[in-house]
Amino acid sequence: MPTFETKNFGTVSYEPESILEFPNGLPGFEEQRQFLALNYEDTKPLVFLQSLADAGLCFITMPVRCIDADYRLQMSPEDVAQLGFAPEYQPAIGPDVVCLIVISIEESGPTANLLAPVVLNIRTLKAVQAIAPESAYSHRHPLTPETAVCS
Amino acid sequence: MLIMSRREGETIRIGDDIEILIAHVGRSRVKVGISAPRSMPVIAYEVKLVRDQNRAAAAARPSPAAISRLAARFGSSGSKPPIKILKPVHPQS
Repeated sequence: MPTFETKNFGTVSYEPESILEFPNGLPGFEEQRQFLALNYEDTKPLVFLQSLADAGLCFITMPVRCIDADYRLQMSPEDVAQLGFAPEYQPAIGPDVVCLIVISIEESGPTANLLAPVVLNIRTLKAVQAIAPESAYSHRHPLTPETAVCS
Repeated sequence: MLIMSRREGETIRIGDDIEILIAHVGRSRVKVGISAPRSMPVIAYEVKLVRDQNRAAAAARPSPAAISRLAARFGSSGSKPPIKILKPVHPQS
């Protein structure tokens, strides 16, 4: 099993078939194409997206359902096609895709980027950060204790 | 802000080397063609927001305590099915 030396988690071993492939990277990180989704028992439900090209690059994310149980995923045909679906198809969270929200932990408190969920095809593990300009979701949605819906 | 009315197929010029074409006017969206020098990045406003937010998220170095607090706030004990594809990757001990 291959291993990777990370800055924050020490050495992690992973199965090659669990690598997430971002064909175009993420906005601002276009060269970062491969990530691991690290999740640990003591930090559930957080999912750490660890770059396989940059040991220090790690996004803290969380499944969208933990933040907004009624979240409506709206993807552009281009983004849908990147995941390997027919462009006119609208993938469903759960059966088709996992939807992870990037969290920024700032001094004023954590915020969630609901405008641009990281969407990954659960069969192919192709992933894209899908920007939904027509949605009313914020790129800096404050995460207050009241917003927790997982528990 | 300068507001101009243009019809489909008409253009606007900004300076000497930027041209904006109103390529198609639909019911709720317009298609805009932009010609600009390579040195002039053109991106949708939302892409800039997400790019800046991603950079801020990556640059933040939250303490383990802050991460634990965040996890505890949202932590569930089995009310949601686990995400099966995200196989836990174990640190080597």
